[in-house]
This record gives sequence, structure tokens and C-alpha cells, in this order.
Amino acid sequence: MKVLPVLLLALIALGTLLAESAEFTIPIETHKLANGMRVVLSRDNTVPVVAVYVIYGVGARSEEKGRTGFAHLFEHMMFQGSANAPKGVHFATVESNGGVLNGSTHPDYTDYFETLPANKLATALWLESDRMRSLAITEDNLSNQKEAVKQERRLTFDNQPYNTAIVDVWPTLAFQNWQSSHSLIGSFEDLNAASVADVSKFFRTYYAPNNAVLVIVGDIQTAEAKKLIETYFGDIPAQPQPARPDLSEPPFKTRKEVHRDPLARVPAVVIGYPGPPRRSPDYYALNMVDAVLTAGESSRFQLNLVKGKQSVVQYEANLGWPFAGPSDYKDPGLYAMNLLYKPGFTGPQIVEQVQEEIAKIQKEGVSAKELERVRAFLLASRIRQMQSALSRAQMLGQYTLLDGDPNVINTEMQRLMAVTPEQIQEAARKYLAPDKRAVLDIVPDAKPKSSGGAQ
Amino acid sequence: MRQTALLLLLAAIMPVVVHSQTVDRTKPPQTPPIPDFKLPSLYETSLPNGLKIVLVEDARFPLVTLRLAFLGGSKFDPPSLPGLSESTAALLTEGTKTRSSRQIAEELAEIGGTLNGASGPDGLTLAGSSLADHAPKLIEILADVIRNASFPADEVELRKQNRKEALRAQRSQPSFLADEKLAATVFGSHPYSHIAPTMESLERMDQKALANFRDTYLVPNNATLVLLGRLPGRQQTLKLVRAAFEDWKQKALPPAPKAEFPAGQRGILLVDRPGSVQADIHVGQLAVTRSSPEFFPLMMASTILGGGTNSRMFRNIREKEGFAYDAHSFLDTKRDAGVMTAITQVRNDVIEPAMQALLTEMEGMAKQAVPAGELSASKNFVSGVFLLRLETQDGLATQLSNMKILGLPNSYLEHYTSSVRSVEPDQIQAVARKYIAPGDAAIVVVGDASKISKPLEKFGKVTVTKAN
Repeated sequence: MKVLPVLLLALIALGTLLAESAEFTIPIETHKLANGMRVVLSRDNTVPVVAVYVIYGVGARSEEKGRTGFAHLFEHMMFQGSANAPKGVHFATVESNGGVLNGSTHPDYTDYFETLPANKLATALWLESDRMRSLAITEDNLSNQKEAVKQERRLTFDNQPYNTAIVDVWPTLAFQNWQSSHSLIGSFEDLNAASVADVSKFFRTYYAPNNAVLVIVGDIQTAEAKKLIETYFGDIPAQPQPARPDLSEPPFKTRKEVHRDPLARVPAVVIGYPGPPRRSPDYYALNMVDAVLTAGESSRFQLNLVKGKQSVVQYEANLGWPFAGPSDYKDPGLYAMNLLYKPGFTGPQIVEQVQEEIAKIQKEGVSAKELERVRAFLLASRIRQMQSALSRAQMLGQYTLLDGDPNVINTEMQRLMAVTPEQIQEAARKYLAPDKRAVLDIVPDAKPKSSGGAQ
Repeated sequence: MRQTALLLLLAAIMPVVVHSQTVDRTKPPQTPPIPDFKLPSLYETSLPNGLKIVLVEDARFPLVTLRLAFLGGSKFDPPSLPGLSESTAALLTEGTKTRSSRQIAEELAEIGGTLNGASGPDGLTLAGSSLADHAPKLIEILADVIRNASFPADEVELRKQNRKEALRAQRSQPSFLADEKLAATVFGSHPYSHIAPTMESLERMDQKALANFRDTYLVPNNATLVLLGRLPGRQQTLKLVRAAFEDWKQKALPPAPKAEFPAGQRGILLVDRPGSVQADIHVGQLAVTRSSPEFFPLMMASTILGGGTNSRMFRNIREKEGFAYDAHSFLDTKRDAGVMTAITQVRNDVIEPAMQALLTEMEGMAKQAVPAGELSASKNFVSGVFLLRLETQDGLATQLSNMKILGLPNSYLEHYTSSVRSVEPDQIQAVARKYIAPGDAAIVVVGDASKISKPLEKFGKVTVTKAN
């Protein structure tokens, strides 16, 4: 009897949360061109803005030995001009029409996007179709972009604390299959070795309409948009569908390594566990475990480690870390986290504390009240994210490419909200055991190499 | 497999019935004119205690977003306690007379809420949001933390310890070291010259100093409350605001620090960071505020020089020369001053040609008038980005509270696009002469002195220094 009111409250709360998320249905219209390109349209006439998003089924895990960093180098080449929009025109056209643009490389996909005033839809389609059809691959552009990418590596990794360890060392602990364990930004040697012929072959193999999804979100007239899409993309020839590399992993062996980081001042530890199959019930349950542990100011890490034990200074965690989110890895993926901690503690102590927090979920589960809080937090975060046309386009494209179903955007919150305390407990037991754990301890190692020495 | 089947099914029931047209691919397409878009309308009022209120009703998403902004940024830090404003902001949500830090965190999570204090050069701002239905609760918690924050000793101590570690981590970032030195050089003795606390000031910060700062600056007659989103109607919202803030007492404010800045002087400050594989170059000098008639011309000049991928710095330093991944410039405006800054990070062996290329681009802005095509492209870019920033509740709330912190009239947002459109090439050249190319900008480079000090001497007297 005593637990009943709490339980009832939780059920009622879940009811209203589901109602709020149901109110939030993203309209989706899909079709496929004759050349195999999948198209997802989502109309939203509230702001005169349109987001155009093209996602290709190729990523760093598609790379071959001796060509690490190639997917990312290629992403740069996509901005170097095409038959009718020579070098500089892509940037100039988008920006001079009031838009913003970018592209990004991930383990299992590469994406390109621009957001523009809604009247410039045709302009974006012209640019995206021209580079899909006729990318200009020249020696000059390639050598120039090799330099830009090397600079990017120096800026983002080699000259920063933690990041070299995270991009070069961490994958070797998290995965055993070379496709997943190699450096995703690549080595300078491999970047130097890339040839124009490599770039052309990569383009032909992966940048075909049948390996792409085009998403348009925003203030569009659907019939007119379809006509424009057919006009610009309809006659780009299909290519043989590229095979997905063999990403299968041998049975996981627990691993740990200590990395001495000359640029770090505060110690950090990376902890990860192989994840469940994407979109399986366990996947949603483990996402909820993550939320209980790490989401927001009332999460367990915040209350018990940052506050209670006062050992952790700050942390990041999610399925897909060190990438942005759970959507980044198509299988196999992992659940990983990075914690910066106070010098008075050691890496193994922090790992122990994290494992204790996990053990509490494994043993005691999660109370109805806590679960209700976590659900509200997740739902609100999701609605915040959905405000931007571009984030909706990204989700629609990623879910179409990686899950085969754009409507996951409308169902995944309900699946998350429906995860039960028992499933949370079970997922913590099944996936977050110490014998399924990889640990990278990043220890500051400041040794001045020349006179002076920045303190 | 099931998912693939589903996709095929969708394709089958939605056959493609459109036909392609012939199109001239060699040219960008003709497009219809830009659609009209009006900013959502603002409703402004104030309470008798001086609290200014801005309401924007926008029902698109079931969320509410708020800002409570005070003129209480780091500019108001006592000289002996840099970082006091920042610490006060961070600790407001860590306990009140009736709520513990944990209760605040849990009550916020229950309403899908967030509430965080942060401090900038001029303003101290509490930023929050929640699911729309819970707006009353969010306002109640906001009022409690701002009026009753108790700065519990254990929370203060923890924040000090964690901020020290965060500061240590920041100090390992070359960009932070460069920002720090540039601010110190450009602003001299003005409080804008410090951008972070020090280990010593953190050590000295206590409950009393925090409460004193709160009692001095976080008062209603020094604040603007911005509320937007799916609000419970104007009257109901105002009722909630009055209930929460009506009896909050106003207080006389101390005078703001005087704005006196040193004259610019060319010199190269090299912050030695042994082992750096790159040199971080920051060139900066004092410029104008947003209320100056020179602001829009200089903002356009800065955009043409280094704003976005179509700018001169990006095209030449990155795309043509391959010296850098990042090359950009921006006009950073505070309430009392602006700083025109250009930044790039280059590999050690090209430091000399890269520095030359950067200075040449800066001087080029003053030498020739910007061609009409380049200017109109840049105007479109700036106007478009302005529109995109208003897409989310957070974006609009940030714009509105920044406007108040910078002391700008509402017409600033309303006329933003037309102000951009009206900038002429000769105005750009004139401000470039004054603020981009006069040769007395400060140059700060963070990198391995043993590798880059020699080539830098070509550009002026090099002073090698350690990071603080």
C-alpha cells in the first residue's frame, strides 16, 4: 500500500509526458528517386528558413589500411569545387545568400548541410547535386586540403590536452577490429600518401545517389520541392551499392592503458563498455542508465561524485562518446565517458567510484521519483533540440541511413519513456560489468622541452 | 531486414510522380524573393521596484525560456577578487534559505528545467527554461535563487576547488593564454583586462564576499527579466512575475567603473609554450561599441576580413595557402568598448609567411574600397545569420538579454538588417583605417619560443613571456 501512491504518481506523470511528446510529431514524407537516392521532406512553415542535409553511407570505419583519415580528408575535398561551381563557389554561394554551411565526418556516415532563407532551396539543391555529380578532384586542391587537415589535426588534437589520447589511443582499447580501432583523424603519413586516384575511387564508390539520403526541413512547398529534387538529382547515375566493411568484433577482452599527456594539467580517465545493438530494447534501456548516471545537475555522477565524494571535476558520457551522441555508431557501438578528476585521486579510484555508482543501479535499481525526473529532463532536452530545422534534418537523415526509418524521430522518445526500472537495472547488469570495461588513464606529464615552460 | 522492407514499402505507396525539367546547371538557379519575416512582437513593462520585464509569446514549442540579466559582470569584480561575479553567478543555484543545492537540481529536473548563472564582461545572467506547463514553478525557483541564495560554505569550498582545476585545464589551452594576454594588453588597467579568476583570488573568495556582491548588484532596479515561449498568457504571466518579484527591494547602485583605456601600441608578446606544434596568433585592438555609428561599418569590415568561409582570411590563409585550419576575425563588443580581433593558428614552419599574409589582409581592408559584389554578398550573409539566430527560444532570449546588457534600444534588433544594408564601401574603408590597419594593434602569439621567436622579430619587437 505504501508504494502505491508513488507508483500511481509516476504513471500519471508518464502519461502527461507521453502526451507532450505525442503532440510533437514531425511530419515526414519520403520517396526514392529512380537512381536510388532516398528523399525525406518535412514541412514547417513557421520560420522562412530551409535546412538541406545530405548524408552519405561512408565514414571513418570505411577506410582502408594505409589510408587512415581519408574519409575526413575527402569531406574537405567536397568543398573544393565541382563542374559548375568551381573552387570557392560553394562557400560564396551559400554565404552570399544568407546561409551557413558545414560538413562532418563520423564513424559510419559523412554529412553536408546548409541552412538558408527558404527562397534559396533551389540554390542549395544546385550545389549539392553538382558536387554529387561532378566533384572537381585536382592535385592542387588535394595538396591544399591535406595541409588544411593536418592543421586541423594540430589545432584540435596535437596541440590540445586529452584529444590525441582520445582519438588515437582510445579506439585501440574500445575495439579490436582495425576498421573501428584505427585513428579516425588519421596519421600524417597516411594523409600524405593519399593520391588523386584514391580520391576519385572513393568518390565513385561512396558518393553515389544510391548511397545517400537527402533531407529537406523547413518552409517548403512539397510538390515544388519534389520537382526541384528530380530536376537536380534525378539523372545522377547510380553506382554499385558499396559493401559495408566487416566490423564484427571478437569477444571483448578487458583492457586498460595509461597515457602520459604532456599538455594536460588535470588528470582524466576514459571508461567504456561495448554497447547493445542499435535500436534494440537494451539500447533504449542503456540510454536510460546513462541518463540516470549523467544527465543534468540531479544525475548520480553530479550528486555523488562531483558533490558527494568531490572527486570528479567534470565529465562527458553517452552511447557514441567521443562522438556527439548515441546516433553516431551503427553497430557495433559503445557506451563511454570521460571524467576529469582532482589530483588527490588516482585513475583506478575514479574507475572504482564509477563502478560503485553502476553497482547501485544493478543492485537497487531506480526509484519511481528519480525515473520521473530523468524522463522529464530528457523530454525537455529533446524538445529544445527539435527547435532547430537543421537538428531535425540531421536526425531524419541519420535515422533513414542508419536505421532505415526516418520515423524513429517520432517514436524513439516514446520508447525511451517506456523503459521500466527493471529494464534499466537489467541493462546495467548486462552491459556495465567490470569485465566488459576498457579504461584509458590520461596522466599529466608536463616536461618542459625548452627553456621557460608555461605553467 | 525489417527496416529495409519498411522503407521499400514507403517508396511503393508514394510513387514519384514529378517529372524533371531541363535546367541550366552552369549557373546558380533563379530564385523567388526572400520571404517576409517579422520579429515576434515584444511586450515591455516594469515593476515599481524597477525590474524591467520583456515578454515574447511564441507558441511553436511547448517550452518557456527566461533570462534574468543584471549589470553585474566581471567588470564589477573588486580588483582584489577577480572572478567574484563569475563565482556568484555559479553559486546562486547551489542553495537558498529553504532549498538545498540538491533540492534545486531535483526540482528543476522534475519540470524538465535548467537554470544556470553565468557572468560575462558586463552582465551577470541567470538563464533557464522548462516544459511550458511548468512555467510557474520555474519562475518560483528563479525568484528563490536570486533573492535567497545562501552560498553554503561547503558548496563555496567545492566550487573553489573545482574552479581551480578547471582553471588549470583552461591554462593548458593556447587560445585561453592568448585571450588572456590580449585582454590585458588592450584594456590596460580597466577591469575588462581580466578574463578569469586567479588561483589566489579563488582562494580568498568566501560566503561574505559573494553575499556582498549579490546584495550590491543583484537588485531589481539593475535587472531585466526576459520571458518567452509558450507562456500562460500575458496577464497570467505578469501575475506570476509580480507574485515572485513585487516585494523585492530596490537599492541604490554604486557607480560603474570608469572606462579609461590605454592607447594602442604595436608590439609582439610571445607566450612561450614549449612543445607547441602550432603558433596561435591573436591580433587585436580597441574599437567601437554597438551604439557607435561606426559599429555597422566595422562589423561589415570584420565580416569581409574574416567572418565565415567566404571571407578574405579564410580564402587566402586557409584555402589558398593552406597555412591554417582556422583563420577568422570578429568585432567583440562590450558595453564600454569593442575589440577588433583577428585569429589564426599556423604550423611553426610557416609562422613568417602566415603572419605576413594576415597583416597584408588587414592592411588591404584600408587600402582599397571593398568591391560592390563582395560587400553585398557579405551583407546577405550577416542578415541571414541574424535571422537564423532567432530560430530557437534560446537564440532569441540571448539576443534580447544581450541587448539590455549592452544598453541598446529595442530598435537595434528591429533595424538590424536595414542598418547592415545601408553600409557603404567608403565607410568600411574609413573604419578599417582606424581600427584594423593602423599598425598599432597588439600581437599576441602563443607557441614554442625556441622555434618561432626568430621569424617573428621581422614584425616588431618580440617580448617573450611565460603564461601566468
